[in-house]
Amino acid sequence: MKKLMVLLLTMVLVLGIVACTSTPAEAPAGDKQAPAGEEQGGTDADADKPADKDGEVKVAFITQSLSNASQAYAWTQFQKYADDYGFTVTVFEEDYDAQNGVAAIGTCIAQGYTAICINPTDPSAMIPSFMEAQEAGIIVGMYSSEVPEGNEKYRDFMCGTDDYMAGEVAAQTLMEEFPDGVKVVQVGGQSGHSAQIKRNDGFVDTIKDTNITLLDSKDCGAWASEDAMAIMEDFIVAYGDEIQAVYCHWDVGATGCIEALKNAGMDDVYVIGVDGCSVGYDQVIEGTQALSIGQSFSQMTQDAFDNITKIMKGEDFDEVVWTKLDIVTKDTVNDFPYPEW
Amino acid sequence: MKRDISARFTRSLRNNLVLVGIIALIVVTAIIEPKFISSANLTNVMRQLWPLPFIALGMTFVIIGGFIDLSVVGMISLSGVVAASLINPLGQVGAILSGILLGGMMGYLNGFVLTTVGAMIQAEVLFITFGMSSIYTAIALLLTNAETLRIARSTKPYNIFTALGSGTVGMIPVVLIVFLVILVIMHLFYKKTLAGRSISLMGGNKEAAFLTGYNVKRSMRLVYTISGIMSGMGAVSLVSRVTTATATSGIGYETNAILCVVVGGTSLKGGKGSVIRTMLGVLLVVLLGNCMNLLGLSTFMQTVMRGAVLVIAIWLDNRREL
Repeated sequence: MKKLMVLLLTMVLVLGIVACTSTPAEAPAGDKQAPAGEEQGGTDADADKPADKDGEVKVAFITQSLSNASQAYAWTQFQKYADDYGFTVTVFEEDYDAQNGVAAIGTCIAQGYTAICINPTDPSAMIPSFMEAQEAGIIVGMYSSEVPEGNEKYRDFMCGTDDYMAGEVAAQTLMEEFPDGVKVVQVGGQSGHSAQIKRNDGFVDTIKDTNITLLDSKDCGAWASEDAMAIMEDFIVAYGDEIQAVYCHWDVGATGCIEALKNAGMDDVYVIGVDGCSVGYDQVIEGTQALSIGQSFSQMTQDAFDNITKIMKGEDFDEVVWTKLDIVTKDTVNDFPYPEW
Repeated sequence: MKRDISARFTRSLRNNLVLVGIIALIVVTAIIEPKFISSANLTNVMRQLWPLPFIALGMTFVIIGGFIDLSVVGMISLSGVVAASLINPLGQVGAILSGILLGGMMGYLNGFVLTTVGAMIQAEVLFITFGMSSIYTAIALLLTNAETLRIARSTKPYNIFTALGSGTVGMIPVVLIVFLVILVIMHLFYKKTLAGRSISLMGGNKEAAFLTGYNVKRSMRLVYTISGIMSGMGAVSLVSRVTTATATSGIGYETNAILCVVVGGTSLKGGKGSVIRTMLGVLLVVLLGNCMNLLGLSTFMQTVMRGAVLVIAIWLDNRREL
């Protein structure tokens, strides 16, 4: 009986693995001939940035982790638009370990990828690998992230939203909504994470010398709604009715803040979140969140693919493409498509 | 006579260090930040406890049994996701029961895998449960595509979740009342039943337990099933509290639960411990976070403090045995 169970368990695992590997990790390019491969044949651009022998344009998406909802959604956008551009896309996960990113780039070089779009855990740690990739003729694109200042030559382009700008927008919105001044608390994202640092810096720099009072600011141990809720509860104990607004670094964290406010009977606090995910949209529609600052991964992906195509054709391209932030409020929420993440 | 009283006092102090720690923390914080002892903050602390007591309670049995369970991360994540997504098809009672049942099944599977592969030392158990956790988390990710599930999106009523998350009877949170009932049952199970007491025997010396004819494997499966059920309950209380479920919501609870158990005086070597003392550990850990937030300490500093408390607890545990 026990042996049978072990056998059964092993079979389930094997079947699972087979099923997972047979699921196309690479979105099929269909019958379409990669247009870039055809068009560029024999050009100088081709010599520098070649598609592979079959004309297949292989693009790698290297991400911090697919357990992050935004990154999982970004991957779906890579798959969605790959056909339109004639690309074959593959995803590599760093699992929040820079070393995995280095290994992924090594694999891309060995397998003759045409381009890499990367949102690394640690951009600084990637620079030597970017150099190697560029030497191998691979287009290196930063996605939703940027290399440290002074290292721009090691990537070909950058497409993304500016987290610093998200902080600025949050502060500017408060200034517009509360011209006579406002007392705000900030619930930060995962402490030390680049998005948390930039969203904080953009906000804090913008409110300097204004009539916005930052009562308190605290970061979470992880991007966890529970952490945000506990911090908000402690802020409520410490500042009570003084709190007029909350700036939370992510929409799902804002859910925790909203619950804490609800439990304390504070329904008129102005809550700002960042991300523009479905949770944020729902809260804006319900009226519990005043503003969600959205990042359009759909646009970001198309910008990145446009740049790859242009580079392959030898055309001019914008080295830095900032994807516009969506300002989602109750008045504008219907102007944007409901997010799929 | 004096020496006798002094020795008794020292012994009593040593045996109740957690309580001393809690009192010291309360006094010091109340002096620096008087709002700490306000009724609003007491209610606040009672709300912030969850879901840690459930997870720590399950972990206590595993550690008394001489093992460790890192799979609580995956079990909480998957149970939470399943409970939140089943409100519409099964109704809220069905969803809650499914989450808890799934937790129990995952716990039993952990025990089954461990006994099947013959993992008997903590290092093996540690890695296998870590592996199981990865599998459960991956399943949760596959189910949700890493999206956040909101119970507010349910078309069916979810008022039991709301009651568990934010409901109170007087000043006492509903979830605390539910938990106290479970705590009493688990305490009686541990102290008054043969199966419960046998867990200590297994944790103290597995070989001796085996040679006396005691079924170590069955007991292993039992402690992991308890841990799974508690993780399922913890997941339900977490979903109720934050009103969302994500495929990674269990991250961090494994270390916090182990911290609470060890701080509560349960030996990492197994064999002895107390579910009641674990609750004091939970209280200390949660109060520590609350105090540090009120005192304005950074998140990095809080992590340092938690690490320091764990190291001191293990050091004191080892000293007690010398």
